Amino acid sequence: MGLNDATRAPVGAAPEPFAPDLSVRIGPLTLANPVGVASGTFGYGEEYAALLDLDALGAVYTKAVTVEPRAGNPAPRLAETPCGMLNSIGLANPGLVAFIRDKLPALRARRFRTVVNVAGAALDDYVRVVEEIEAAGGVDAYELNVSCPNVKSGGMAFGTDPALVALVTEAVRRATKRALVVKLSPNVTDIRETARAAEASGADAVSAINTLVGMAVDVKTRRPRLAMKTGGLSGPALRPVGVAAVYRISRAVKIPVIGLGGIATADDALEYLLAGADAVQVGTATFADPGAALRVLEGIEAWMRQNRVARVADIKGLLIE
Amino acid sequence: MVRIDTELLSKRRVAEGYFELRLRWPSGAGAPAAGQFLTLRARGGGDPLLRRPFAFASHDAAEDEATLVIQERGSATRALATLEPGAKLDLLGPLGRGFAFPERGTEPVLVAGGIGVGPVLFLRASLDAAGVASRFILGARTAALVPESLLPRGAGVEVRTDDGSLGTRGTAADAVAALPRDARVALFACGPKPMMAALDRIAAERGWPYQAAVEEWMACGVGACMGCAVPLKGGGYSRACADGPVLDGRLVKWD
Repeated sequence: MGLNDATRAPVGAAPEPFAPDLSVRIGPLTLANPVGVASGTFGYGEEYAALLDLDALGAVYTKAVTVEPRAGNPAPRLAETPCGMLNSIGLANPGLVAFIRDKLPALRARRFRTVVNVAGAALDDYVRVVEEIEAAGGVDAYELNVSCPNVKSGGMAFGTDPALVALVTEAVRRATKRALVVKLSPNVTDIRETARAAEASGADAVSAINTLVGMAVDVKTRRPRLAMKTGGLSGPALRPVGVAAVYRISRAVKIPVIGLGGIATADDALEYLLAGADAVQVGTATFADPGAALRVLEGIEAWMRQNRVARVADIKGLLIE
Repeated sequence: MVRIDTELLSKRRVAEGYFELRLRWPSGAGAPAAGQFLTLRARGGGDPLLRRPFAFASHDAAEDEATLVIQERGSATRALATLEPGAKLDLLGPLGRGFAFPERGTEPVLVAGGIGVGPVLFLRASLDAAGVASRFILGARTAALVPESLLPRGAGVEVRTDDGSLGTRGTAADAVAALPRDARVALFACGPKPMMAALDRIAAERGWPYQAAVEEWMACGVGACMGCAVPLKGGGYSRACADGPVLDGRLVKWD
């Protein structure tokens, strides 16, 4: 749809008003638009309230919530690399009780869709976080973080084994009827296997990709630049890896794919959408430009108008292979 | 806290590898306090990727101007050092918590080490404006690294260099240790970790309050990413950007 001559205004006629439908469906959930902000880069939203219109975002994927409060990894936790950065935050978060008490009310009062990113060291942790948030009234959706490269147990240990992805997805699926997204790790041989496992176990969507394991060494001091030695690579350097992952996943599963990894501009997001994504997340780019996600959204809408593409879901059909 | 596009008004070299940048800081952006900082995007695109944090070194509300003192260290600061007046600047600030004014009856001692000089100069000017006398101590490796033209005028200004090439030979912490033990000193400092740790030992031993402006790598600068973790003696971390950059120096694990 969209690019054939039949949908173009006739030459000489005033262009008819064209308003693309930006909404995206993820299981039972409708997002007002395809652009969200990625977990770990946006806190719980309010940190950025002074800098952009949060309610214009399609979704906020929160900082990970674990059952227990986590102080996080030793410092330094950040290192900049060419067109990217390494982090080893270690899922620092105030824990489930404080999240429900201190963060959930403000998230509920917002118009954007809240997707709580859930992490844990064991299967029961994931279930408990979701159950207790549900008992507290729930949020719009959950994103299972089975792919964090920066924690010793859980996290990526779950995300690199399709059988474990299936287990955790099934268990959480039983705990909620809300939209359930599984965030996939690129630190695997074939990301389609974990994507299929998530789909078969009841996920409504997958998001891809989490960070890629990386390391940087300070040659002067001969020490790793991160206290944890390795960390997760994000930023533009990661984008081609993410686009390829989304392309392959989207041809292996029928559920929606949420693309992320190095998106800073609308063109970056459109790469993902053309490659097969149904929605996107902007992460590291927010650090450089707090309004990056909204500029990405504006650019996607402008591109859809210009190319007379009616729905976001139509974009992936426009890739010329 | 706002993100603004503004411009560089002037730039001058103030010591070897050190530059003072004077920039337009409109009143609508909010008045920064000493110890607060801004982040600056050196240029668009992916490299350098992250904004860089810099402490305010002064603010002139009447002229809508502020200054930063930067040191050429890596690609971002090298790019900044080559900017010419009129260059556009993408700024986010004022960020973080600044210095709290000293309690009545205490004698404020302001200690700057190396590139930590900016926020300490700003504090000195704020205290001067409030009619509060303070002692100002600057430590540097050598005379070439001392921004002499920026040093406050008036009484109670002391320079220490490791090699004795300017002022007294020794460190800024030596100068603090030489203060009378029974004085009611309130320490305020920004500088390299060894200096900050030495001041912590003196403060702990003498029971002096110690406000310390810390420096860390940052990604977001607004308290969201948890990247700029400063370890605390009692366990856990503070965020340099949102809990600091001015922290209780006696709680920070410096080593």
